[in-house]
Amino acid sequence: MMRAAQATLGLSALLAIGVMSGALYSAPAPAASAAATKGLTTASGVYSAAQAEEGARLYAVRCAMCHGQMLEGTMETPALKGKFIANWARSPLGHLFEYVSEAMPQFAPGSLAPAENAAIIAFLLRENGMRTGNSPLPSDSEALKTITFMPDGAPN
Amino acid sequence: MGLQACASTPTRNIVGTAGAALAKPRLAPMRVTLDQLIDVKCCIRPLRAAGPNLGTEMVGDTLVVHNYGHGGSGWSLSWGSAEIAVGKALSVLPKEIAVIGCGIVGLTAAVVAQRAGLKVTIYAREMLPRTRSFRASGSFTPDARVALLEPAGPNFPALWEQMTRLSWKTFRTYLGVPGNPVEFSDSYQVSDKPIERRTYPRDPAITDSYATKGVPLQSAEFAHLSSRIRDIVPQAVPLSPEENPFRTPYATRASQMHFNFASYGHLLTSEFFERGGSFVMRDFHTPGEVATLKEKVVIHSTGYAARDLWKDRTIIPVRGQTGWLVPQPDANYGVRYNNVSLLSKSDGVVVMNNNPDMGDMLGVGNSMELPVRADIEAGLQMMAPLFAPPAAARTS
Repeated sequence: MMRAAQATLGLSALLAIGVMSGALYSAPAPAASAAATKGLTTASGVYSAAQAEEGARLYAVRCAMCHGQMLEGTMETPALKGKFIANWARSPLGHLFEYVSEAMPQFAPGSLAPAENAAIIAFLLRENGMRTGNSPLPSDSEALKTITFMPDGAPN
Repeated sequence: MGLQACASTPTRNIVGTAGAALAKPRLAPMRVTLDQLIDVKCCIRPLRAAGPNLGTEMVGDTLVVHNYGHGGSGWSLSWGSAEIAVGKALSVLPKEIAVIGCGIVGLTAAVVAQRAGLKVTIYAREMLPRTRSFRASGSFTPDARVALLEPAGPNFPALWEQMTRLSWKTFRTYLGVPGNPVEFSDSYQVSDKPIERRTYPRDPAITDSYATKGVPLQSAEFAHLSSRIRDIVPQAVPLSPEENPFRTPYATRASQMHFNFASYGHLLTSEFFERGGSFVMRDFHTPGEVATLKEKVVIHSTGYAARDLWKDRTIIPVRGQTGWLVPQPDANYGVRYNNVSLLSKSDGVVVMNNNPDMGDMLGVGNSMELPVRADIEAGLQMMAPLFAPPAAARTS
């Protein structure tokens, strides 16, 4: 049911909520990147289905042991849903990519190839309800800085 | 039966013998006379067949994140459930949210949202302690009539485990805090017959079920999930006669976590207000009214009241009742004997008289929320011989 609601709600509706309430969103960060001007966000369909699927495979073997099979996190390890969106929203996606590339997995930081990190991020976007597109996410941080991390519709 | 009071030692009202001090705890007997009974409370657990509702929906321009229907496990799951609900609220980037309902589930969600940096207003008819949560027994019981196995579906056990583990760890952060909001104590089960773990296998004679009748018809329909957390939650261990502080031939002992309502509620309410929370007394009559709030993200935690407010007829009332004795801090333990259990808490000794033959079906479908004092009185009378001096026990 939420899937359907999400499809009909979409980002525009969510933004409309923000406009009406004046509370849901704050103004975009002043240091708006090129992404803001181009309007490309993670809600625009910025990864491919195959890439997210590859990310799921990598997540299961490289990430799930700490962050959980359902991305639920624990008392000690952050969840990769919910608060995760609030933590990264309005930032260039390149920042998340750089963080994951440099800091994760914590027991072997920087051990994943750029394409693997991009796939994991595609998986995280998919699991957080952001729509699939036709092309994969690029795997370099400069290109990813043209995309703003923003939620796509209501949570599932 | 009865406590093995050692009349020949100076500590005549202390149970146990000095020679076996390492093995046998010295327990003060509980006073279970009727003059000690100071309260009888009754409440309805909001059992939801599919387990707690943690879904989301739009009501007009307002995102509603549900967080209700935790059965007999509202206290036990409160932190884990709040984490999920607040996570969903955060994912649409609000700065302020509303929480509807101020029982333990709503208040905990409100505090978790504040800890995440949100401005929170609680709208409710009543604040804790004038809520059903305060009429619980207050033990850590995370799978107490929390769901029916089949309607809850294959993903529920893992979700339950996630909520339970996070709650458990959070409750641990309250151990040793002044006022003992959360506490462990020894909990004995004593018996005249060998103690076996009760099981409630499916009765093939009962062919109907929740699927056909809208209510469960036997214990086997309920989700029993505690085996998933055996690695952290202490299990009962059998006691040898040398370790058994009671005169019954059989006993087990478990370490049980419980919540002391008064100090816990005070602490949580204080945190809510210290973090700038607001409380607005308000009654809601239709779901549409939530869209009139200025907050456009709302966590809905009305518990049993959701049955009528949200027309959620999958909520099944499960009646429960507790009696409360004058606090007995010297007798800081719990004991179960036949149908009756006693647990010494800082706000009183909680008494329950529940026939175990009923299993999880006890109180199911019963929405009579007035207490029946006679049941508690009968329970106290059943427990009296356990604490009688040896001579009286022999003649009784």
